[in-house]
Amino acid sequence: MMRTDWRDHDWQLIHTAPQSPTLHMALDDVLTHEVGAGRRAPTLRIWEWAAPAVVIGRFQSLRNEVDGAAAQRHGIEVVRRVSGGGAMFIEPGNTITYSIYAPQSLVKGLSFQEAYAFFDAWVLEALGELGIKAWYQPLNDITSEGGKIAGAAQVHRGGAVLHHVTMAYDIDAAKMLDVLRIGREKLSDKGTVSAAKRVDPLRSQTGLPREAVIERMVATFRRLHGLSDDDLSAEELAQAEALALGKFGSPAWLADVA
Amino acid sequence: MHGEYKMPGGKLVVVDLEVRDGRFADVQLSGDFFLEPDSALEAINRALEGQSEHADEAALAASVRDALATDVMMYGISPEAIAVAVRRALHKEPAA
Repeated sequence: MMRTDWRDHDWQLIHTAPQSPTLHMALDDVLTHEVGAGRRAPTLRIWEWAAPAVVIGRFQSLRNEVDGAAAQRHGIEVVRRVSGGGAMFIEPGNTITYSIYAPQSLVKGLSFQEAYAFFDAWVLEALGELGIKAWYQPLNDITSEGGKIAGAAQVHRGGAVLHHVTMAYDIDAAKMLDVLRIGREKLSDKGTVSAAKRVDPLRSQTGLPREAVIERMVATFRRLHGLSDDDLSAEELAQAEALALGKFGSPAWLADVA
Repeated sequence: MHGEYKMPGGKLVVVDLEVRDGRFADVQLSGDFFLEPDSALEAINRALEGQSEHADEAALAASVRDALATDVMMYGISPEAIAVAVRRALHKEPAA
């Protein structure tokens, strides 16, 4: 397998109407598989959320990470994703989430640390154009002078790699801390959270609406790597809906690490 | 019993376990690390299950390493970090 470059691929953009948390989990699974099988060209997907959610990492303990009663009280669905990494607190409009589904050839020979930074280099450039001096903080964070902006996670599967990222646009920190159990050992990471009412590095540092930030990010990706507008195929959507209902919506998957 | 260890330069490694008749039982590794394939999590839990509560960190780390197939990828976690989290669970050491 030869190392490939971004421009060796015909990048597709998927940015649809808001979808449910379990469908997002399933779409990452299906689209990674489709790119790995060569049935779909490498793709950038921007997520829109139809409902609030806590998304825990593949290996996080459900009971250690989430206050189930608080989540229920706030009407927040808890789902588990396919990748490792930490919990995300999502309310529609409070974050910017995207997935990149790429052939593994794109990061062939790179260390994990290099591969994480490689996949988000275009984002750092977009943030720079928006006036935010941001940089990669290993292992898997994008940070800025105004604090942590984003966390990334990767999964490798059948010739493809999924790299997905959630960026904090404007998060209600009090509600987040009510729902997520962030322990002492972890707080060193999120130290800015406890002092702030909102975690809003993207909103406060750009002064732009979320939609405008997304538009600028997509434009940067398009300019650097090329990007055609695409949509989910009927078959991809049907597969994802079945997986959302079966696997990702099941109590067994959610509590797989109790 | 519950132990947490933030691996330097890595991620949070958490171990929950019981001790029955001097041996580990109901071992559950968790955290915000990266591990592939994901079935390696169960392999690690099984490797620790039944170990003596007196096993030292080097022995625990070796047991974990021996249980992992050569194609397992770890990022932000290591056999040594898992062993530290186990010892912390046993000693109820305060989180660093």
